Amino acid sequence: MIHFDNVTKVYTNQNRPALDHVSVDVDKGEFVFLVGPSGSGKSTFLRLVLKEERPNSGAIHVAGKELSRLSNFKVPHLRRRIGCVFQDFRLLPNKNVYENVAFALEVIGKPRRFIRKVVPEVIELVGLEGKAHRMPDELSGGEQQRVAMARAFVNRPMILLADEPTGNIDPATSIGIMKVLDRINRTGTTVLMATHDAAIVDSMRKRVVELEDGKIVRDQSRGVYGQAY
Amino acid sequence: MRANFIFSEVWIGLRRNLTMTIAVIVTVAVGMALLGIGLMINSQVSSMTGYWVDKVELSVFLCKKNDVFPACKDKPPLTDDQKAALKQTIQSMPEVERVDFEDQNQAYENFKAQQGNSLLLSVIQPGDLSESFRVKLKNPDNATAVSESIQGQTGVANIVNQRQILDTYFGFLSKLRNMALGVAILMVFAATLLIGNTVRLSAYNRRRETGIMRLVGASNIYIQLPFVMEGVIAGLIGGVFAAVLLIVTKVLLFEGIQSYMAVPLGWNTVAGVITFTMAVGVVICVLASFITLRRYLRV
Ligand SMILES: Nc1ncnc2c1ncn2[C@@H]1O[C@H](COP(=O)(O)OP(=O)(O)O)[C@@H](O)[C@H]1O
Ligand SMILES: [Mg+2]
Repeated sequence: MIHFDNVTKVYTNQNRPALDHVSVDVDKGEFVFLVGPSGSGKSTFLRLVLKEERPNSGAIHVAGKELSRLSNFKVPHLRRRIGCVFQDFRLLPNKNVYENVAFALEVIGKPRRFIRKVVPEVIELVGLEGKAHRMPDELSGGEQQRVAMARAFVNRPMILLADEPTGNIDPATSIGIMKVLDRINRTGTTVLMATHDAAIVDSMRKRVVELEDGKIVRDQSRGVYGQAY
Repeated sequence: MRANFIFSEVWIGLRRNLTMTIAVIVTVAVGMALLGIGLMINSQVSSMTGYWVDKVELSVFLCKKNDVFPACKDKPPLTDDQKAALKQTIQSMPEVERVDFEDQNQAYENFKAQQGNSLLLSVIQPGDLSESFRVKLKNPDNATAVSESIQGQTGVANIVNQRQILDTYFGFLSKLRNMALGVAILMVFAATLLIGNTVRLSAYNRRRETGIMRLVGASNIYIQLPFVMEGVIAGLIGGVFAAVLLIVTKVLLFEGIQSYMAVPLGWNTVAGVITFTMAVGVVICVLASFITLRRYLRV
C-alpha cells in the first residue's frame, strides 16, 4: 500500500537530510506506528506520502502508483484516497460538526444526497452521535479530534495518516481516540500514525517503525515504544 | 461541481472584503466607461469621415466689388466671360470631377439655411456675399495641390478647403478619444492591482478552508473558482455601472451634439461598445485573479 524505496529528503536551506535513505513497506490493512523524537522526520514521511513534498532521491509508491510519475493534476485524486488527522485538529471554527465533516465531501463535488447519508454514519462511528450541531469551541479536545477523524474517514480512504493525533489530548481521552483509530483500521483502512507517546504505542502492540535523525533504526511487528531488546 | 457551495463561498468572500470589493467595482466601472467613451468617439469619427469624405469640396470665392482680400486689391470683378473661362480652366484639371457656380442669391439662401443667428441675417445682404465655384474633387486628398494651382488665377479672392476644417475638428475628437483611452488604460492598471490585492486578502482569509480543501483532495478548479468568481462578479458589477455611464453619455453628450455630427451614433454601436467593455472588464478580472492566485495559493 505504501512503499518507500531508498528515499532521501533534504529541505532547501538545510544540510542535514530530514529523511536519509529510508526504505519501508506498509501492507494493505496494516496499523503502523512511526515513532522517534521530535525532528526525527516523522511528519516529513507523512508529507511525502501525500505528495506535499517531493523526495530528493528514491521512489515512493502509494496505492500502486509511483508518486514522481503522478502529474500535479492527479494529486487531488491521490489525496481523496488518503485521510489525514493532525495534532491541531484543523477544524473550521465557523462550521458545526456536521458541516465540518460534510465540507470534505462538498469540496470534492459529492452529491448532496450521498453527503446526507454518510455524514451521520461516520459521526456515529467516531462516537459523536447527538453532537452534530455543536460548534468546535463547544467541544473538548478529544471530541474535536473525533470530528477531525470523522472528516478524514468520511470518504472511506484506503490510508489514514495521523500526525501525533493525541499530542494535544490528555492520556485518558487518548485511549478513546486510539479506539476510534482501531475501529477505522478494522474496516480495512491502512493506518499510519506518527507519535512519541510511549504509553499508547506500548498498549496497542502494533508494528513500530522508529526513526532517528531521518534514519530507520528499528522496524518491529507487535512492538513497544522503547527498545524491547 | 456544487454551484451553491461555490456561490456561498463567493458571497462570504465578497462581504469579508467589502471595501476592497467596492474599490474594484468603482475602478472597473470608471475604466470601462472611459474605454467605452473612447470607442464611441472612435466610431463616431470613422462614420463621419466616411460620410464627409465624398462631400468635401473646395470653395473658390471670387472677388466682388471693393473686395478686401489682398488678391482682389484694385481689380474689378470678373466679367461673365472671364468667369466662364476660369470655370473652364478649373474643369480641365485632371483631379477635378465637377465644378458648380454659386451666385450671390444662392449663397444667401445657403447662408440663411445654415445660420440661426437672426441679427447676423438682418445685416447681411445678398450683395455682401461672394460668388464662388464649388469644386468637387475626384480624390479629396489632392485638395491642397488643386487649391494651390487655382489660388494664382486672377479674380480668385480665397479658397476654403472644407477638408482642412474637418481635419481640425476630427483632430480635436481624436485627442479626446486618446485621452479617454489613456485614462482607461491607467484605470485598468489600477483595477488589476486592486483585484490582485483583493485576491491576496481573500486567500489569506480563507487559508484554513483552502488548506483543508487541498488535504481532502479538492481539485484546483474547485479551490480557485471561488476566488476567480469574486473577481468576475466584482468585474460584472463594475461593468453594469460602466454601461449605465455609457448610456448616460450617449443621451446627454452624443445626442446633444448630434446636430453638428450629421451622422448620429446609433444604439447598435452603443450596445456593441457596452458588450465589448463588459467582456474586457471580466477578462481583466479573471486574469488578475488567476495570476495572483498562482502566487498566493499553493495548490
Ligand atoms: N518545511 C521545512 N523546511 C525546512 N526544514 C524542515 C521543514 N519541515 C521539517 N524540517 C526539518 O526536517 C527535520 C524533520 O522534521 P519533521 O519531519 O517535522 O520531524 P518530526 O515530525 O519527527 O518532528 C527537522 O530537522 C526539521 O527541522
Ligand atoms: Mg512532526
